[in-house]
Amino acid sequence: MFKLIENEVIKMISKKRLMFVFAILIVLITIFAYGQNQSLARTKAQLSQRMGVTATDDWRKLADQQIIDIKNRLDSPYMDEKSKSSSRVRMEQLQYNLDNNINPLEQSAAKFTTIFMQQAIFLFLPLLIIMLSSDMVSGESSSGTIKLLLVRNVPRWRILLSKYLALLILEVLVVFVSFVLAAIVSGFFFGFGGWFAPVATGFKVLAGQLDSTGVRNVPQWQYSLMVYSLAFFVAFVVGSISFMISVLVKSTASSIGIIMSTLVAGNFISFFLADWKITRYLFMVNLRLTDYLSGSFQPIEGMNMLFSVTVLLGWAIASMIISFVYFTKQDILV
Amino acid sequence: MLKKSMWYTILTIASVGFIVLAIGFYQAIIVTTAVNPQPTSKAAVPQTTPNSTKLPSKNANSFKVLLLGDSIAKGTGDENSKGFAGYLPDYFKNSTAKDILVENAGIDGLESIGLLEQLQSQKLDKTLADSDFILISIGGNDVRRILSLNDLAKEDQFKVRLDSYLANIKQTMKSLRKANPNSIVIFLGLYNPYEKANSVEDIRLLNTWNYDTQQLVEQDGKGIFIPTSDLLKFNLGRYISKDGLHPNSAGYQAISNRISKSVETIIAGS
Repeated sequence: MFKLIENEVIKMISKKRLMFVFAILIVLITIFAYGQNQSLARTKAQLSQRMGVTATDDWRKLADQQIIDIKNRLDSPYMDEKSKSSSRVRMEQLQYNLDNNINPLEQSAAKFTTIFMQQAIFLFLPLLIIMLSSDMVSGESSSGTIKLLLVRNVPRWRILLSKYLALLILEVLVVFVSFVLAAIVSGFFFGFGGWFAPVATGFKVLAGQLDSTGVRNVPQWQYSLMVYSLAFFVAFVVGSISFMISVLVKSTASSIGIIMSTLVAGNFISFFLADWKITRYLFMVNLRLTDYLSGSFQPIEGMNMLFSVTVLLGWAIASMIISFVYFTKQDILV
Repeated sequence: MLKKSMWYTILTIASVGFIVLAIGFYQAIIVTTAVNPQPTSKAAVPQTTPNSTKLPSKNANSFKVLLLGDSIAKGTGDENSKGFAGYLPDYFKNSTAKDILVENAGIDGLESIGLLEQLQSQKLDKTLADSDFILISIGGNDVRRILSLNDLAKEDQFKVRLDSYLANIKQTMKSLRKANPNSIVIFLGLYNPYEKANSVEDIRLLNTWNYDTQQLVEQDGKGIFIPTSDLLKFNLGRYISKDGLHPNSAGYQAISNRISKSVETIIAGS
């Protein structure tokens, strides 16, 4: 069994596809970091043009003023209890910036690494995973090597399982490498720090409204760990689904086509999410798990972290069952 | 051999990574679903109505000003964190010898619907009834959201927003007058804090907003509308604070000065 998995992983590596994925990651992250750098410079230029040259260095004054304002706001007896915790969280962040001399305008490697995955989680990361998974089985069919695989004295389910576990290993690898690459590449642009800055999280949806009573700060490293873990979960789900498609469909091209068009369609469909209830059970619209962490999602009654995770898990399990049943029962005619 | 060692490296990274990611995933779930970690009862202290020993102003040697509405009423942006609450008494003092007490009930980010809810909750009724002057600043947050739209969408959205705003203000004035039929209501107009937003279209929208507001406010016999856009138009650099939105200390003083001049005779006579 162990030998089989090793065999599959080595096969993937020698096919150079993994290297290809990493290469794409490097190129994209570099472009992204460069772009962020540019827009940062532009924002600064605009600010200093509008508010005088020193405005960007004057952030301390501004932060001081904001803290005083928030303090006053917290003391006000007319203040809504609900919005108090987000004010408190904001104040903590400002205080941290002051204490550690961090200009909030500046980007940091930690911030960039997190933002990168938050942007990548619903389309880019799934596409990378699809590149790896969609020909795991169909590739063997189209090249005819599946015969050689199946005549060995190993039960079919074991062969499939070893392929699946190999895929899982590669998924971890992709998530891990994208983290390392993002952290290193952006480090050259923005400096390597920022891992201990506080980030607000803990938003919930109550009665269709964003509820921020539970908001609190976590350090950036923990936040980005959570983001990348969610990304891995997404990779696992998308990997399972495209693995199933690659079992069902004989040609690699159509396997990639099917899963890719599904993903892209998900972006359109999320448009109807609020009104058309059944769409929320599709896996594509539930991929933006990190939005639940950052509180940047469109609040929809009934959709929360647990719901999305359950839906995704359901899809993953169902596709695993279908793949195994189909693979062990099908006739191989090559 | 190379392949062998590569395989073990990959396997190690994968298993360690898997465990770490599993922990992170668990944390993410907990953070987004856990019940509120902060004790909510902690902050419930300052609910007492401020200054419960206040005297009805008619036979006291003081009069009271209530600040209602958004961050501008509250004084956000003033680097000395005084705002109207700090400066109005200074300027009023020139016209009267009485003590001036200010009650600040401004809330950052309040929209007209929020103000209406605040009044209708009747928590403020007692404070309202005791006030001689009520300063209201509202509407900026209603408008702000449509500013980034393109011209066509802006026009449509503006109409919708303006209508709901006017309806809210009408109701607000009604609740206010129910609690206190005699106080002077000072209503601040909107100004344009953005140098960029000065296309013909933007100016027209701002003027329509202010004009309709003024119509409504001054239907009330004891309401006065104080424009601010003219005061700030050429003085943005001087009167707008670093956040680029609220007045700064000098800005609050300038507006306070204007308000005090407008109600000078009333203060002197009361």
